[in-house]
Amino acid sequence: MIKAVHIVNQFFAGLGGEEKADLPAGIIEGSAGAARALEPKLGADAKIVCTIYVGDNYFHEHKDEAVKAILDAVRGAAPQVLVAGPAFNSGRYGMTCVEVCNAVANELAIPCVTAMHDENPGVDAYREFANAHIYCLPTAESTAGMTDAMNRMAGLAIRLAAGKEIGPAAKEGYMSRGIRRIERTEKRGAARAVEMLLKKINHEPFASELPMELWDDAAPAPALVRVNERNLAVVTTSGVVPWGNPDKFKTYRNTYWRKYNIAELKGLEPGKWEAIHGGYNVAYMNQNPHYGVPLDALRALEADGAIGAGKLYPAYYVIPGNQGSPTVMRRMGQEIAADLKNDGVEGVLFVAT
Amino acid sequence: MISKELEKAGLPVALISAMFPVAQQVRANRIVKGVSIPHPCGDPNLSKELDARLRREIIQTALRSLETEVTGPTVFSPPVAMGG
Repeated sequence: MIKAVHIVNQFFAGLGGEEKADLPAGIIEGSAGAARALEPKLGADAKIVCTIYVGDNYFHEHKDEAVKAILDAVRGAAPQVLVAGPAFNSGRYGMTCVEVCNAVANELAIPCVTAMHDENPGVDAYREFANAHIYCLPTAESTAGMTDAMNRMAGLAIRLAAGKEIGPAAKEGYMSRGIRRIERTEKRGAARAVEMLLKKINHEPFASELPMELWDDAAPAPALVRVNERNLAVVTTSGVVPWGNPDKFKTYRNTYWRKYNIAELKGLEPGKWEAIHGGYNVAYMNQNPHYGVPLDALRALEADGAIGAGKLYPAYYVIPGNQGSPTVMRRMGQEIAADLKNDGVEGVLFVAT
Repeated sequence: MISKELEKAGLPVALISAMFPVAQQVRANRIVKGVSIPHPCGDPNLSKELDARLRREIIQTALRSLETEVTGPTVFSPPVAMGG
């Protein structure tokens, strides 16, 4: 017998609508609310041992307590698979599903299935976690897609509970997390590349094995008039940070940025700074941090009047850029942009490694 | 990716990068040729003095790019010969 646990919000547990959004996490034995629709789809060899619910507001306002209560409940139920949602286009619910899945996958090593509309903010969190044990299926925007979502969640849940191998996103229909896996193929790389090239030349459809993220076009920002009178700032992905790496950046997949004060400095002395980055050889950067944050040149140009006196922002922004997921990078870009604008910066010198 | 968000917010960005084909591919708008990936702003093979001068040229080129109207990805090359 396969044991599953279903996570739902207060509404889908049948406990009430927005007026009950402050409901703390709780457990109902067996299946309740939406779980009743899910259970028969799991088949005769599976049952939902308990339905866990949590209010849409409660979860986000008491996240630590809520996650802990849910983890305890799931640990007690000891299921082979966790199902969360479907959340459709409900943002709070979608975030709850993804965060609960992430906690359960990380802490209890239980595979998780969730489902939501592709514009649900939970999808960004799902991609940001990029957790190999979580599968998020796309749904319609509203509960009109309930039956379809339940059918597909049940199908995937059963296979996960049975320990079956799940194929790539494009084949299985879950939303891509950007995880690459090694796969055995019939043909070697060179042969596949030539086949792909021939298809391309013949204008036939082909699928790249290394799909690139689609980059949205940003219209160029207008040029600055008299750059020597403008407030400028340095942003870098080189990973140059004060010696000792006080903010504990990792060499890859960082999810936050920092700015470090340079207001009083004429240059960056070797030995006081170091580069944290797993994507290139940092020896040169450690020898001379100006390769990433060219403060000596900026001060010289300030002395010459090419940069206005006091116009260089008193700190530089850094994020070690290695292997950042596009979603995370986009979020950090927005945060840095807001911070720069807030402080009146008008133009940016961006050093990328 | 980060630089695009800055541009979207209306801040012109001079992207100093040795990987300028990639910068073009991701459609950065003002691209300044850096020396190499591990040391975009300068060249450790040069004497200290020349290295500092090269770095200055690169930043001056970046400043010039910020003063230049562009309609799409445009590469600005510092007016010096750069080694690999």
